[in-house]
Amino acid sequence: MKAAVAVEALTLALGGFQLKKIDFAVSRGEILVILGPNGSGKSVTLETIAGFHRPASGRVLIGGRDLTALPPERRNIGFVVQNFGLFPHLTVAQNVAIARRRHQTAAPRDAALPAFGDDAALLAYFGIAHLASRAPADLSPGEKQRVALARALAGAPDLFLFDEPFSALDAQTHDQLRDELKEFLRALAIPAIFVTHDRSDAYALADTVAVLRDGTIVQAGAAVEIFEKPASAFVARFVGVENVLSGHIIETSQNGLSIEVGRQVLHAAMPAKTLPAGSAVFVAIRAEDAAVCSPHLGGQPTPKANRLEGCVTGFRSEGALITLSIDCGFRLKAYLLGPQVRALNLEIGSMIAVEIAPDKIHPMAE
Amino acid sequence: MKPAWQMSYAALALMGAAMTCLPAPAATPATLSIFAAGTLAVPFRAINALFEKQHPDVTVQAQFGGSVMMAKRITDLHQDADLLAVADYSVIPKYMFGNPPHASWYAGFARNAITFVYTDKSKYAGEINAQNWYKVLARPGVEIGRSNPDTDPSGYQTVQLLNLAEKYYNAPGLEQKVLANAPLANMRDTETALISALQLGQIDYLAIYRSDALQHHLKFLDLPARINLSDPAESAAYKQGIAHTKNGDLAGKPIVYAISMVDGSKNADWAEKYVALLLGPQGQGVMKDNGFGEFSPAYAVHVAAMPAALRKLVKPWPAS
Amino acid sequence: MTGEAAAGRLWRRWAAPSQPSGLYLLCWFLGTVLLAFLVIPLVALALTQSGASLAGVARMADVRDAITLSLECAFLSAAVAALAGVPLAYGLARTAFPGKGVIAALVDLPLAVPHTVAGIALLMVFGRQGFFGEPLQTVGLKFWGTVAGVVIAMLFVSAPYTVNAARIGFEAVDPRLEKIARTLGLGPWRTFFRVTLPLARRSIMTGVTLTYARSISEFGAVIILVYYPMTAPVKIYELFLRFGLEQSAAAAVLLLIVSLSLFIALRTLAQRGGPIRENR
Repeated sequence: MKAAVAVEALTLALGGFQLKKIDFAVSRGEILVILGPNGSGKSVTLETIAGFHRPASGRVLIGGRDLTALPPERRNIGFVVQNFGLFPHLTVAQNVAIARRRHQTAAPRDAALPAFGDDAALLAYFGIAHLASRAPADLSPGEKQRVALARALAGAPDLFLFDEPFSALDAQTHDQLRDELKEFLRALAIPAIFVTHDRSDAYALADTVAVLRDGTIVQAGAAVEIFEKPASAFVARFVGVENVLSGHIIETSQNGLSIEVGRQVLHAAMPAKTLPAGSAVFVAIRAEDAAVCSPHLGGQPTPKANRLEGCVTGFRSEGALITLSIDCGFRLKAYLLGPQVRALNLEIGSMIAVEIAPDKIHPMAE
Repeated sequence: MKPAWQMSYAALALMGAAMTCLPAPAATPATLSIFAAGTLAVPFRAINALFEKQHPDVTVQAQFGGSVMMAKRITDLHQDADLLAVADYSVIPKYMFGNPPHASWYAGFARNAITFVYTDKSKYAGEINAQNWYKVLARPGVEIGRSNPDTDPSGYQTVQLLNLAEKYYNAPGLEQKVLANAPLANMRDTETALISALQLGQIDYLAIYRSDALQHHLKFLDLPARINLSDPAESAAYKQGIAHTKNGDLAGKPIVYAISMVDGSKNADWAEKYVALLLGPQGQGVMKDNGFGEFSPAYAVHVAAMPAALRKLVKPWPAS
Repeated sequence: MTGEAAAGRLWRRWAAPSQPSGLYLLCWFLGTVLLAFLVIPLVALALTQSGASLAGVARMADVRDAITLSLECAFLSAAVAALAGVPLAYGLARTAFPGKGVIAALVDLPLAVPHTVAGIALLMVFGRQGFFGEPLQTVGLKFWGTVAGVVIAMLFVSAPYTVNAARIGFEAVDPRLEKIARTLGLGPWRTFFRVTLPLARRSIMTGVTLTYARSISEFGAVIILVYYPMTAPVKIYELFLRFGLEQSAAAAVLLLIVSLSLFIALRTLAQRGGPIRENR
């Protein structure tokens, strides 16, 4: 099935900055999160898709239609920015009414949704009809998000673009609005591209993720795959893998790899892309995959289970979740819940064992 | 970006330092303040330089403008001046002899004539001369500039000249036809403000003093002495030329530049020496070099009120 | 905020300011000095007149005509400044091009040119034999001794105020708002008129009012091009030459009163609708 939105080989030079061959596709009802550090080109990519920069090469297609040569006002795109960008000199109703387009060009829509030309229905759908004559400055962030969505929807978009809309909000509002947004987008079934540097947004919203670094996509795919099988140390750290270790491959076999890390040898499952013996690698181990247990638990340690002995060197508490720093031949971080820490009687200097399953050890070439 | 900022700050700092280093006006023991008609600017600057050379501890500060305005700055605005020199000698008795009096005598020290100046760009420049000028200036499409008769002597003197010319050439309607080519749009407070307009081709002919024509190296017409207000001997004839202004009907008089010492000035001694220089051979020489007619000796009114040393340089104004 | 809370805040600010009180004192002191410097001479001038003397000058048709002419020509000058200056300001605010700094500085240049020089320069170009003046004269547009001449002299010295204020106003409009408007289907023109211009309206009005005020007072450049018909400053000068201080001061105070009323009215119009509160 043809993707609802496709970006092909988009290349752009803007001032000193360059986008190099950006490629991705988004389907109907899908949310793509573009994740990247500040300065990686996330906003520029969005603005190029919206039509504010002309790419040197490449195409932007929506519903199979090539939009690359069209000006922004002819592209049927909804754009939501940080602080939601409501027009401060217009009331809520005027903000929604200012949209010019009323006909969506791409796929048919659910009849339950409000018609594009009907502003009153739009306001009612988002539950903001009672705010119609208010000024944007008087609204709470949640109310502003709804107005921004209603306004974008009034423009009959085939695609939603979100440029870090939650960046300036406190954590609680951030989470709340994000949940609401996800609900709205699911109901509207319009493809959306969400840009952020905050990985928790990716975890919460994404169906697919593209990681952007210095104008290039370094990894793209289903969200689960990015999080569990990052392609490089950079991506691993960016998606929040607590343990990114360097080592080198001692031996390869049909079962997997033996990797020397620090003073230990870890057994890892064979990755999708085979890596030769002797090569230097990075190893990603998610902190929640490092199972902590008492060192004196019975049973034979097996090489396949990667059982390591070490001692606790530090605690970091974030409320219910505690990050344990362990020295087991290399530095390892593991997650534990508070009750577990108490049950194991752990304190700095305690000896413990850690078990890591081979398929949770993810080697990366770079 | 940083180097650009640093350079801007450095430039500003340099300018500030340069300004503090500018020479402050030197404080001399005496400053002689002269208010004079605009047309006297060039010759007076030369005479001021002469005076300062002869008397090194005096600085002469001269300001130039319309004769009437300079007189009013003394009488109405109470500005300090030691000497007043005007383009029309009658300005002094009219404004300065009043109540309270600001002057008690005056001496006529130079003469001038009204003429018309033009450039190569002017219409009919090739054919105009001292005989046919009044016909050329009356032609349609010719733009003539002059100064405001209500505020400036050369303004009403121009009108008087045209009035006299009408009788001299026996050409009725001459004044009206020429003035029709010099509408309000072509009028200014002083004729010198129109020189740039002449040079830029906005006007073709400008009524101005002969001295200005020579100073600005402009082509001019030598009009008959009987009409151009240059000769005190023709005073009786000049009286026939009338200019109707908002200040009343003014009869023609010879154009005589007059100077007087302002009553109550603190530099009376220096002022007296200045007048002596002006009326003497050196001053008269400078005036002549600048295109003014000379007086040998100067005419004066109320000779008895003049300082003793000056009385021998003048002779009483001939009755007219 | 309730009345009590507001009063409490005011009292706290007076009784125990959080900033060092020396700073506030200095601001008040210097501000009062400058204000006094500006206001006292005008008040002194106004006090030389009585109602009768003002009524006397107001009766003179040529004084009334001069003031009316000044107001009308200044209005035209401000209108042209707005029509041509606002687009220029928008270009300066939004586009980047080599030499932009030079262009921005050039816009300010008329402020540094002596007024007489400005007048002569304009005469050179718009006069009977000027580069623009000559062809324009054939279609009947003259600048010597006409309203058009007054307007261009006023415009030359006062346009920078409109351009600068408008540019600052446009720079303060978040470009992302314009981008959002485009994605909503508004083309560049609609975006400008529905989003950008309303948000910059205040700054632009302030600039245009300044241009208007500066135009009314211009003398040196106007008088090179146009003596008759007389604008108010030229008339006041002529009155001074003919009659002296009293009459010219009366006409000057009359002009001041008319101008002041106008400016207050214009300011009130510009502030209409209250300040636009930006998104927090």
